[in-house]
Amino acid sequence: MEDLIRELSRKIIETLDLVDVSEDDIDPDGTLVGGDLGIDSIDILELAVMIEKDYGVHIEDKEVGEKVFVSLRTLAAFIKDNSPKFRK
Amino acid sequence: MNSRRVFITGMGVISPLGSGVTETLESLKAGKRGIGPLSLFPVFQDRPLPAGQINSEVTGEDVPRSHRMALIAANEALADTKTPPDAIVIGSTTGGMLRTEELLKEKNTDPKKYAWHATGSIAEYLARKTGCTGPVLTVSTACSSGTAVLKIGLELIRTGRATTVLAGGVDSLCRLTYYGFNSLQLIDPEGARPFDRDRRGMSVAEGAGMLLLTGSETIPENAFAEVLGAGLSCDAHHPAAPHPEGEGALKAMSLALEDAGLGPQDVDYINLHGTGTRENDSSEAKAVAALFSGRGPYLSSIKGATGHSLAAAGAIEAVVSCLCLGHCIVPGNAGFSSADESMPISPTMANHAAEVKTVLSNSFGFGGNNAAVVIARPSDIAKHYSRDHDPVFTVRGLSCITGAGDLDKSLAALDSGSALTGLLSLDEISAKLPQKSVRRLKRLPRLALTLATGAHEESARNTPPEGICFGTGWGAMSETYDFIMKLYETNEEFTSPTDFVGSVHNAPAGQAAIWLKSTGPNMTMTGGDYSFEQALFTAGLVCDKGGTVLVVGADEYHTEFSDLLDGSVKAMSQKSDGGGALVLERGGGDGVSVCVPFFGCAEPGCIETLIHAMGGADRINGSLAALFVGIPASMKNQGGAQLDEFIAKTGFAGHVIRYREFLGEYATASAAATVLAASFVRTGAVPKLPGAGPFIIDDEGVAMISLGSHICCIELR
Repeated sequence: MEDLIRELSRKIIETLDLVDVSEDDIDPDGTLVGGDLGIDSIDILELAVMIEKDYGVHIEDKEVGEKVFVSLRTLAAFIKDNSPKFRK
Repeated sequence: MNSRRVFITGMGVISPLGSGVTETLESLKAGKRGIGPLSLFPVFQDRPLPAGQINSEVTGEDVPRSHRMALIAANEALADTKTPPDAIVIGSTTGGMLRTEELLKEKNTDPKKYAWHATGSIAEYLARKTGCTGPVLTVSTACSSGTAVLKIGLELIRTGRATTVLAGGVDSLCRLTYYGFNSLQLIDPEGARPFDRDRRGMSVAEGAGMLLLTGSETIPENAFAEVLGAGLSCDAHHPAAPHPEGEGALKAMSLALEDAGLGPQDVDYINLHGTGTRENDSSEAKAVAALFSGRGPYLSSIKGATGHSLAAAGAIEAVVSCLCLGHCIVPGNAGFSSADESMPISPTMANHAAEVKTVLSNSFGFGGNNAAVVIARPSDIAKHYSRDHDPVFTVRGLSCITGAGDLDKSLAALDSGSALTGLLSLDEISAKLPQKSVRRLKRLPRLALTLATGAHEESARNTPPEGICFGTGWGAMSETYDFIMKLYETNEEFTSPTDFVGSVHNAPAGQAAIWLKSTGPNMTMTGGDYSFEQALFTAGLVCDKGGTVLVVGADEYHTEFSDLLDGSVKAMSQKSDGGGALVLERGGGDGVSVCVPFFGCAEPGCIETLIHAMGGADRINGSLAALFVGIPASMKNQGGAQLDEFIAKTGFAGHVIRYREFLGEYATASAAATVLAASFVRTGAVPKLPGAGPFIIDDEGVAMISLGSHICCIELR
């Protein structure tokens, strides 16, 4: 889980071109949207595309997205539960 | 001063509800819905999403689908008139994109094939087909375009610049919008259900609507309706989402009513924008509820029947509004079955027979761009309007970006004898912008924002500009190209929502509005090499509420796209881009004054008309120190001959400076040139330029003369 969180942190920074943010700056339990990171609704959609592309998990709509993108940890948990990559 | 009323004397329409006004009316009466699974192009999804597609054959010449649809609707609108319209104003967001996508897919590198890519090429095509030789303008304010064109048309007539105007909007379905809106999760898989409790989004659609506007002091016999007024506003809130409380929508509606001289109680029916997205419908509902206390007018959106045809929507809905007036029908809100308890309004569910005398029609779009128009049955009681034919502005702030840098650096480079060609790096362009805030923005919006904030800063105003008029020949090429490429690289599985939001031509102007908190008219004009000229010309028409207007022209160079699209760029080995911005205050005063005495098409006799509009040879010789001439490289023979004719007919002996020689070739080079020329007039000194100078400007002014397929004159003095 911690590895996935770290990997997601790196991918978020890359995908969104976050300026002056390093992997350690994203608190796994902190608010992902609307906080200091400056991540907004369009970024979330961009991340949804990345997650579908890289992990094969489809985030269907805004309602699902709102639950998934609460924090880095909720995102990682959602991916772990739904991605073919992590299927046992 | 002119005093004229504006009537709709011709209408044409093609949409998923049918081809022609008669078929459209029948479909409306029958409650037909034109939304179904997309089949226009193959999609790599299990099931194509519902879309508003025209299923009858869209026939015409070898031009893209949107151009054909535009001509079909225009021919219908002009069927009863033998004379060409004095002006054409067309709204489009995607132009020939459907064809461009196919060309890019097959990696076609023949620039000739891309000749119809530009949004502006539709208005050009209609001008050629109808024989229009006056101003030909293209509006690209996303989904508000089809209503915004009516405001421009209205003001062209009120100011006496035209007596007849063909105004309309068109967009064909294409991958960019089909996949783009889907990437934003804004498509309802069941088809659009505007205002319904269970609505999940819109249905992207296609179509064209065209209206012939005619100025007259009395009601013409063939008048379908009268355009009483229109209003433009900007949310200045978010690039893609509407203001949650509908502030911008309310402002546009209020301005339209004010312009019409009416109050809310005078409106019988509102044709709502009502796209079916949760956000749009809820914000529009709040705006409508705020405007009408108590029992309001009938309300409905027809987008559950037509889908959302983007730039065409407003124009199609204007045609439908005329049908409501003429046939006493309020169309039902197709797709609406269960009321949303959180909504402060309730749309009319089914078709309703009612006496409708006055309609308010709304169109809102990305970039926070809003437009509303009031259309009424012609009555004996009507307000007459007076407008300046030639509005004059005074320069309050300037900024430019050239290959040498900002305005100071560009002037220093000229002083040292260097050219201003070349390309700045992305970091250089946006050095003054907070990097965190521009991380998502590519080259064009960064150019536009730096220009906008630079000119505003130089104006030392602590109030936002009242309006923003932006001209761009090609729009955001980086975002558009990247969007399409990512789509193809992933076998049409993935796209970038960020690129889609950034790809709309009006995204940079919307960004500038957010930064500067400018909530008035926010226009984006896309007329190729004359885009900046169109933006300045349009500012004179739509920005008359006092305060300042920010006029910006910018284009980016794109390594893959530019040479395919712009023959002038291709002609030069050294590539250039940039632009200019001016903060202008309406009216005269201390400072450099700006006006646009002439804007029209190249045609036999046009140079004489230009000379006449500029006050004749004596005035030109007596009051102008220099001509700054813009001739795009792709039109050098035509433009060169026009310049020779101008010199021969006026005997002009002052300085003639061909600015593209030192600014480089790009569509809005005229914007950078106008800013440089304004700074010369301000200081009274022109440095040594290729082919002229140095020289002093005393009491004289200078004229910016744009030549080629269109002729424009901007005077600075």
